[in-house]
Amino acid sequence: MHLSDRVTGLFLALLGALAFWGGSRLPAVPGQDVGPAAFPMVIGAGLVLCGTLIALGIGRSFEAAEPEEQQPSRGLATHLGPVAAFIPPALLIFYVLVAETLGFLPTAAIILLVTALALGASARLAIGVALLGPPFVHLVFYKLLRVPLPAGLLPAPW
Amino acid sequence: MTAFIEAIGMVATAEVLIAILVSAVYGMVIGALPGLTATMATALLVPVTFYLSPIAAVATIITSSAMAIFSGDIPGCLMRIPGTPASAAYTDEAYALTRKGRAEEALGASLWFSAIGGIVGTVALMAIAPALAEVALSFSSFEYFWLSFLGLMCATLVARSSPIKAVAAALLGLLVACVGIENPGGVPRFTFGMTDLLGGIEALPALVGVFAVSEVMRAMTTGGPPPIPHRRLGSILAGQWALTRRYQKQMWRGNVIGVLIGALPGAGADMAAWVAYATSKRFSAEKEKFGTGHPEGLVESGAANNSALAGGWVPALLFGIPGDTITAIAIGVLYMKGLNPGPTLFTEKASSMYALYIVFLLANLLMIPLGIAMIRASRHVLRAPRAAAMPLILLLCAVGAFAIGNNPFAIVIVAVFGIVGYMMERNGYPVAALVLGIVMGTMVEQNFVTSLIKSDGDILPFFERPVSSLLAALTIAALAWPALVWILRRLRRAEPAR
Repeated sequence: MHLSDRVTGLFLALLGALAFWGGSRLPAVPGQDVGPAAFPMVIGAGLVLCGTLIALGIGRSFEAAEPEEQQPSRGLATHLGPVAAFIPPALLIFYVLVAETLGFLPTAAIILLVTALALGASARLAIGVALLGPPFVHLVFYKLLRVPLPAGLLPAPW
Repeated sequence: MTAFIEAIGMVATAEVLIAILVSAVYGMVIGALPGLTATMATALLVPVTFYLSPIAAVATIITSSAMAIFSGDIPGCLMRIPGTPASAAYTDEAYALTRKGRAEEALGASLWFSAIGGIVGTVALMAIAPALAEVALSFSSFEYFWLSFLGLMCATLVARSSPIKAVAAALLGLLVACVGIENPGGVPRFTFGMTDLLGGIEALPALVGVFAVSEVMRAMTTGGPPPIPHRRLGSILAGQWALTRRYQKQMWRGNVIGVLIGALPGAGADMAAWVAYATSKRFSAEKEKFGTGHPEGLVESGAANNSALAGGWVPALLFGIPGDTITAIAIGVLYMKGLNPGPTLFTEKASSMYALYIVFLLANLLMIPLGIAMIRASRHVLRAPRAAAMPLILLLCAVGAFAIGNNPFAIVIVAVFGIVGYMMERNGYPVAALVLGIVMGTMVEQNFVTSLIKSDGDILPFFERPVSSLLAALTIAALAWPALVWILRRLRRAEPAR
C-alpha cells in the first residue's frame, strides 16, 4: 500500500514526539545524570527531525523510481486490491486467537486454505495443501523439535 | 594447532555433517524459488537451530545462505526473474546469455565463481577477523559507541533510497529496541503495562516478520512468475576454467569488493553484486558488450555476492554488529548458543572459530556438485506453485516464532513486523536499516550511557582516545556526506539558471 511521503513523514514525526515525551517521563536513576530517559529522547528528537524533512520532500532526489503496483493475475486477492496484502498478518492474529481452543491442525488447515485461495490456487491444490501441510508441520515441530503445539479439538494421532 | 585439530573433531560429527547436507539442499531450493530470499531461508531456520549443537546451528545458517545466494541465479538465468535480490544486478546479463543459447555457460559461471567467491571470502574472514580482534581487545565503551553508531550510518549511506528515510528507519529500529526493562534504570520502558513487553521486543520474531511475512504479503498483490520454458542443458562446468583465466583480474576484484561490502554493516550480497557489476562495466575494455550476454560482469558480480556472505561475518563475530541481514539473524542464534560475539571469541573459543571456517569451506566445496544437481532439477523445482509454497511459509512463520519461546505473543510480533516491513518497503524505507537498529539498539544505548556516565556528561572524552576520534570523524563524515551531495546538486542545478 503506497502512502505519500507527507503521510509517512508526519507519522514518524508524531511517533518521535511521543517517544520524546514518553522518555522524558521515565524515572531517573538516583545520583546519576544519565538514565533510561536519555536514549529515547535522543531517538525521539531524531525521528521528529527526519519525519519533518521527509514530509517536506527533502532527500527525495536520492530515491530510485518507484516500482509500479502490479495486480495479481487471479485469485481471491484480485477482488480486494491492495487490502489483500493484509490477509497474512490477519491470519497470524487469527492463529493466536483460536489455536488454543480449536487446536493446531484445524487452525493451520484454515490458514493454508485461505492463503492458497487468495494466491489463486485451484480448489484442488488449495484443499490438498490444507490437508497435507498441517500434519507434516505438526510432525516436524511436535515430534522432532518438541514444540508444545496446542491439541484443541482435534489432537494429532501421534 | 591443537585448536585446529579440535575444530576438525567438532565438524566431523554426524550431527554437523547431516546439518550441513540438509541445510544445503534446503538453501538451494529456497534460493531458487523467486520471492524467497536467503535471509528468509535463514529466518525460517531459527527454530530448528535451537535443537542443534552450537556448531551445527551456525553451520546450517552458513550453508543454507551460501547455497541460496548461488541458486538465486538459476531462475535469473532461465526465466529472467532473480531468485534472491542478490542476483538482480546481473539477471538481464545472464538471461541474455541464455537467449543466445549459452545457458550452460551462464549457469556454470554463476556456480563456479560463486564457489570461488565463497572460498576467497572465507580466507579473508580467517585472515582479517583474528587480526582485528587483537586491536578490538583494547576498545573501551567510547570506541564501541562510535563503532556501532558508524555501523548504523553505513547502513543508511549504502541504502538505495533517500538517506533521510534510511536514518529514520534506523531510528525506528533503535526505538523498537528501547522497549522493555533492559535499560540503564531497569524501569519498564514503553511497555504500556503489558507483561509480554517487559522482556523487550525479541529481535528474532521481528526479523521473521520483516523478512518472511512481508514477502507473503507482497505475493498477495503481485502476479506469479511465468512458466519455465523447457531447455536441454549441456555440460555445466565446461569452459569455466577458460573464463577463470581470461577474467582473473575481474574475479579477484569482485572478491575484494564482496568482502569489503559484506563487512560494511547493513550492506550484504545484493549491494556487493550491484557494485561489482557496475565496477566491472566501468573498467571493462568491452563496455559495449555489457547487457548483451557477456560473461565478464557475471564473473565479477557472481564472485562478489558470495564473498560478501563471509565478509558479513567479520563485524558480526567481532563486535556483534551485523554485516548484512543474514548475520543480523545469526547474531541472535550465536547469543543463544553461548557463542557471544566479541573479540574474546577468537581467544577463548578459538576452536569454535576454526570450526566455523571449516564449515564455510565445506559448504562452498559442496556447492559445486549440489549446484549441478540443482541446475539439472531446476525445471521441476521451479514448477512448484507459488500458491502452495507461500501458505506453508506463513504457517512456518507462526510455528517458528512460537517455538522460539513457546509464547504466542511472538506470533503477534511476527504479524506486526510483517506489516511494518511491508509498509516500509512499499514506501521507500530500507528495511535493512530498521533491522540493524533493532539488533544493535541495546548495544548502542549501553555504550552511549556508559560513556556518558564515565565522562560525567561531558562530550569531550568521546573524541580523546585515538581510535575513538578516528571512528568519530568517519561517523561525522558519513552523516555529512548525503547533505554535501544534496547541496552540491542544488548548486549545480542553480548554475545554469543564472
